[in-house]
Amino acid sequence: MHTVCTAIATAVAGLLASCVTAYAQAIDYSALQDVIGEPVTTSVTGKPQRVSELPGSMIVITAEQIARSPARDVPSLLKTYAGIDVNRWTAGQSDVAVRGGVQTYNARLLVLVDGRQVYLDHYGMTNWNLLGVASEDIQQIELLRGPASALYGFNASTGVVNIITRRPGDTTALRTEASAGNHGMNRVAASLYVPVTDRVGAKVTASRLREDERRVPATILDRPRFTVAADHVAAALDAASGATTATLGGGYDLSRQVEFLPTQLLSNQLYRSYNLRAGMTHDTEWGGLAFSGFVDWLDADYGTDGSIGGLARGLTLSNRIMVGKAAGLYRLGADDTLRLGFEFRNNHLASNAQYADIVGYNVASANAMVDLHPTGRMTTTAAVRLDQLWLYQSGAIARPAVDDPASYRQAFHRVSFNAAVLVRTGIEGQLRINGGLGYQLPSLTNYAFRLEVALPEPLPASLIVAGSPNIRPTGTWSAEIGYSDRRGGIRGEATAFYAHTNGAIAPPSEVPSELTEVQFLPGPVIVERYYAAGDYTTFGTELTLSGRLALLDWRANYTWTTTRSDLDNRNALSPILVQPALTTPTHKVNVQLGYDGGARWLATGILRYTSATQQFALAPEVPLAVVKLFHVADAIALDARLGFRLSRGIEVFVAGENLTLAGGAAVSPIPADRRVRGGLRATF
Amino acid sequence: MRIAPILRAATLILACAAPLRAELSVPIATRVLTFLLPAPRGPTQVAIVVAPDNAASLADAVAIERAVGGGVAVGGALVRTRRVPVTALEGLRGYRAAFVTAGLRGAHDDIAAAARRHAVVTITSDPACVQAARCVVGITSGTRVQITVNRVAARAVHARFGSAFLMLVKEI
Repeated sequence: MHTVCTAIATAVAGLLASCVTAYAQAIDYSALQDVIGEPVTTSVTGKPQRVSELPGSMIVITAEQIARSPARDVPSLLKTYAGIDVNRWTAGQSDVAVRGGVQTYNARLLVLVDGRQVYLDHYGMTNWNLLGVASEDIQQIELLRGPASALYGFNASTGVVNIITRRPGDTTALRTEASAGNHGMNRVAASLYVPVTDRVGAKVTASRLREDERRVPATILDRPRFTVAADHVAAALDAASGATTATLGGGYDLSRQVEFLPTQLLSNQLYRSYNLRAGMTHDTEWGGLAFSGFVDWLDADYGTDGSIGGLARGLTLSNRIMVGKAAGLYRLGADDTLRLGFEFRNNHLASNAQYADIVGYNVASANAMVDLHPTGRMTTTAAVRLDQLWLYQSGAIARPAVDDPASYRQAFHRVSFNAAVLVRTGIEGQLRINGGLGYQLPSLTNYAFRLEVALPEPLPASLIVAGSPNIRPTGTWSAEIGYSDRRGGIRGEATAFYAHTNGAIAPPSEVPSELTEVQFLPGPVIVERYYAAGDYTTFGTELTLSGRLALLDWRANYTWTTTRSDLDNRNALSPILVQPALTTPTHKVNVQLGYDGGARWLATGILRYTSATQQFALAPEVPLAVVKLFHVADAIALDARLGFRLSRGIEVFVAGENLTLAGGAAVSPIPADRRVRGGLRATF
Repeated sequence: MRIAPILRAATLILACAAPLRAELSVPIATRVLTFLLPAPRGPTQVAIVVAPDNAASLADAVAIERAVGGGVAVGGALVRTRRVPVTALEGLRGYRAAFVTAGLRGAHDDIAAAARRHAVVTITSDPACVQAARCVVGITSGTRVQITVNRVAARAVHARFGSAFLMLVKEI
């Protein structure tokens, strides 16, 4: 059945002309920003729009801001913005959450690079050291706050990060950076852009990062720690002929780091990812057509030190995802647009710890969005998307089987939507009311995991930790109201938000007896599964001010987030591992001051305050390690960067994060350390 | 105290940084050319339509020439300019685009006619020229850049812009 579905959906995707991100690749963001005088994005409605006029809550970080930031990677860049929680659990592992819901392996934020998904479906998470992009190659980072499943499909249930890389230009250019710092940090990166002909440009980028892990306190169950590694190499060809553009690219990424798993075990992982992508756009009098597709292969080894969760073995997972998209953007008059799109994806996982050799699904999607301007002062936007999923399994089934094979042959659908009204109240003032419904799809591990654990004598049973084919997507309803304006050179934005999440998925660590199954296969087997732990509601406010005074630019933001949860631990021995009310900071403040005289010196300083939280980790108790909540103190951290231009294209710099050595700055049970580096950046 | 003069100086700097300009913004005007389909490549001559006896027009032309200097590289094109007097508009023959200077309202009809004959995309800072469908592109660049494209005027000179560009600007 799934084979037929695959063939039909692939044909449909190939023949029809939506995907926001597919269209986005035809856009020359740099040129549009130059002509309009502010960043431009296509990520909210599918058509290019000024960031100041969006019917959604979006942060755009430009290449210039990235170059001046003390941040060493994308999560560090994002953490200084309102509504964003960044937990740097270990030196290598970070999670980014939008408007609450902090947990390890956050599955509710979709992350894309040039429209290609880098969110990993095997576990439903993003490895931010496996993005396959060098920060020097980034044109802009876009973060859309709030559910965006109607635009992007499953897993954009709290937001989307879309990283747009630079396009090859008309002249040869080379961007490089070499840096080194304390904690064994060293990094080299280079991006080469070459015009092959007057219609074809090529790009090759590569980077290599090494740094030492943080010190783990004795109160947390530790693992042998290796040097954090993150390498990538990628290449792309861009061609343009008249109104048609085409792109072809591919890359290889490697990441090695110690991570907190969703069960809060510390474990050493090795990820290797390969990808191929292609796209084509055609510009017409009435709009544009876009076709794109990509294939990602992921090989993930868990427990590379030879053990995971007390087992003398590691896990291997191989995930392949194939996606085809087609989009049509139609101009309905001078200002109004209609976007129609289709998408098909096949996603499957092979693992030595799952129900069958292969477990996967096909998803066929159709979506539509209208962007209307009924008056000169008002914009209305509405989007709806239908995703139909077919689950399947194939190959040998691991024995003893804890589910009927037929339970893996099932289908369901979800309808997601977004709607917004934008009212201009003045030259730059605008009121925005928007909301939507988005879904987090259970990961392939949630569906298919199966790991048998021998219980100590004299217990007569074995334990199987399992996924469930019956687990359902987690829905998030959201609404927000925001007002922004500029007065006297100061731009301000205030937003109040609300989000309600149904059926948050929790890992099966020490689940309550009420949820524990005992099966006789034929001997007694205790089965513990991933499960829907309950609901939670998050609400709060975000306030942002920014401005410029002569050669100084500044911005400040404050976020208040509170969570009410209905997550019942049903008398389990340990707390449920999804506890956003405890793990999400209530108050966050960021203040940034930057100086760039345009001559020799440039400097940026960021002061960050995060209120106290509690975070999970395994404590090395005897006889068995147990999950505990660890207090993470409030923190005031200072990040800073000082640069000196030796010439127009060469800069030496020194940068540091958490210079105040605030232990809670990483919002992790492992205290944050101070990371300082210096280096050389050159553009030719 | 000492804060007042600092604030006054800062205000002055801010005011100088973003003046409400009547003259054409050359960086934006040349960048607009790259959104034409097909985009100009290589050496690209752009006319400056000027009335030598009109102070405003002449000042605009001088400002444009100063900004372009020996040539502006934008996209795959190297833009250079040459003056074409408003009294000799047949000189527009062979140009792909022309910057229409300020102070030429009395000549807009003639400029539009010549632009139609020779398929020249006209770009100006005078909104009236675009509103009247005499010029193709209008650019105002105060605190906020506003670009207006007149569809009728664009069609008349057989100019086509990329849809991404058109969705960002005001099309009338």
